[in-house]
Amino acid sequence: MIGFSQHFARWLLRNSRKTEGPAARAFLCLCGLALLLQPTAVGQQKPSFTVGWSVYVGWDPYYYMAKSGILRKWADKYGINIRVQRFDYAPSLDAFVAKNIDACAMTNMEALDMPAAAGIDTTAILVGDYSNGNDAVITRQGLGLAQIPGKQVLLVEKTVSQYLFERAMAINGLGDQIRRVKYINTSDSDIASAFLTDASKPAVVTWKPMVSQILKAKDVKMVFNSSQIPGEILDLLVVRTEVLNRPDGSGQKFAKAIAGAWYEMMSQMTAPAAASDKVLSGIAEASQDSLASYKEQLATTHMFYTPQSGVQMASAPDLKKIMDLVRQFCFTHGLLGDKTKSPDDVGIQFPDGSTLGKADRVRFRFNIDYMKLAAQGGL
Amino acid sequence: MSFLRIHAQPGRATSWMLSWFLFAAGITAYFYVSAERHRDNPDDRVMPTIAQMVQGFQDAALKPAEEEEVQDDAAAQGWFSRVRSSMLWKDTTATSRRFLISVALLFPAVMIGLHMAMFPYIGVFFLRFFQFFDKIVALSLLPIIFIAFGIDELSKIMLIVIGVTPTIILDTFNLSKSVPREQIVKAFTLGAGDFAITYRIIFKQIFPRVLNSIRLNLKAVMLFLFAGEMIASTDGLAYRIALLRRHMGMDTIIPYVLWVALLLFLVDLGMNLLNRKLHPWFQEI
Repeated sequence: MIGFSQHFARWLLRNSRKTEGPAARAFLCLCGLALLLQPTAVGQQKPSFTVGWSVYVGWDPYYYMAKSGILRKWADKYGINIRVQRFDYAPSLDAFVAKNIDACAMTNMEALDMPAAAGIDTTAILVGDYSNGNDAVITRQGLGLAQIPGKQVLLVEKTVSQYLFERAMAINGLGDQIRRVKYINTSDSDIASAFLTDASKPAVVTWKPMVSQILKAKDVKMVFNSSQIPGEILDLLVVRTEVLNRPDGSGQKFAKAIAGAWYEMMSQMTAPAAASDKVLSGIAEASQDSLASYKEQLATTHMFYTPQSGVQMASAPDLKKIMDLVRQFCFTHGLLGDKTKSPDDVGIQFPDGSTLGKADRVRFRFNIDYMKLAAQGGL
Repeated sequence: MSFLRIHAQPGRATSWMLSWFLFAAGITAYFYVSAERHRDNPDDRVMPTIAQMVQGFQDAALKPAEEEEVQDDAAAQGWFSRVRSSMLWKDTTATSRRFLISVALLFPAVMIGLHMAMFPYIGVFFLRFFQFFDKIVALSLLPIIFIAFGIDELSKIMLIVIGVTPTIILDTFNLSKSVPREQIVKAFTLGAGDFAITYRIIFKQIFPRVLNSIRLNLKAVMLFLFAGEMIASTDGLAYRIALLRRHMGMDTIIPYVLWVALLLFLVDLGMNLLNRKLHPWFQEI
């Protein structure tokens, strides 16, 4: 059906020919074209939800979920609309904090220091994977971690890259040397070419696919990677708690639908080779990547393919230790805000009901209800 | 309805009020929404209140840049030395240095444009190339810029040079071409040489307009500079904004953005005054 705006646009274009004066004619013509090119709005009564994601091996499945119709099937089952939108990573966080989107794929660290620290009560409903070698510290000329202090390191500051690097230093007993390292804040979209083309920079910390690209060069080696700190860089799907608790229950429906779609997606990814290859290359398309490259990235990602494994990770006592390390890192680097006087001011609640930090200031919750429902086949 | 006529003459007080109206409306709307958001969520960081922004700016202007370099006698130091060791000072000097170098590099571009317009062989040699280069989106060529200029200072300045100089060159070219041909013929009959005509007749006439063109392009210079600093750097105003964005430090970002606007405004004003001083005969400002 052609909407009103389309009719109006055609009318404008028709009239622009008759209008006196070249400037007025050009203006009408441009207005008409702008209206024509606008996407037509679809009338919707069903509650509608938007999920933001960015390119990353563990999040690319959202693209395929939407494209293949899996998501629509589950959304229809619960009588809602779910829209999936791709962002760059930082803008996706901004959009989530500004409440423009309802759910977003992010790491445990960003969930804590972006929405939770900004007072947005945030709930993680899906534990998708953890980085098991995706993030790495790479050096030139056989440099070891111990030689890095005093030198320059390319990384995106105040992100999991810096977390990984400082954990690497701490684990190797070099914690007090960290302050002698000179960080160069480098945008992730340019970090690979920046490191490869500028031989005067001895070290870089980044993630895949940039890591794979850098490792193809000569004379570089990986000195530390995230498989040495398993489970500390968790990739989650988070929802605003107020959306989840909407009185009309639509938030619950949304969580159930997305969990159902996610685990159907996961089972397709683990199907026997021939069937899963088709799915995996569809997913790889999300980042304009090849099947081989996507598989290589999957190899260093610990996916929680089954809901049971996700439940297990989220309810393990280790999660509390991990979140404590992460929140201490965030606090000492000022990521919780200048006004936050103690890491306890941003409380974290675990599935067993226990909290880290102040119980009356819980801002970040791990919720395993939906993964449990998926495990029991109750969706 | 006489106030909507072409010959209407707003009074002193009326023009003052009207010219500040949109500022007042914008500021009021901001603080209204900000207060609403803070009522809803006391920890909101997207739209900080005025107290938070003042605090953020004070911290930026008076506290040392890096947490590691905290000196114990900071309180004992004078006000000026505290400002000089502050984050704001450090960022401003770093950005200003890059900015001034880039603006200085625009002047050779003016010379190229002038000679292209005056000497046909130079014109045909460069014109097509610069017309093409003017349409290149420099930001998308970053990897090549990195290979050629490294990732330190030089690549940031080159990004600006590649992004802005073609515009200045072509603009100077067009301005020089628009000087009536009769003047050149007249100068020849009065015995002027090629260079006398180029520098003392054409350049003298177009220079105030060229300065205005550079003023208009200051914002483009700043945009490229910000893009460069956000891509890779260790200091600078845009570097700080990129870092603060990591944890939604809008209470410092908004004052920073206003500070950049103020600096740009002052540079623009300075160039305008200089232009009037140098060319009192130029009436088009």
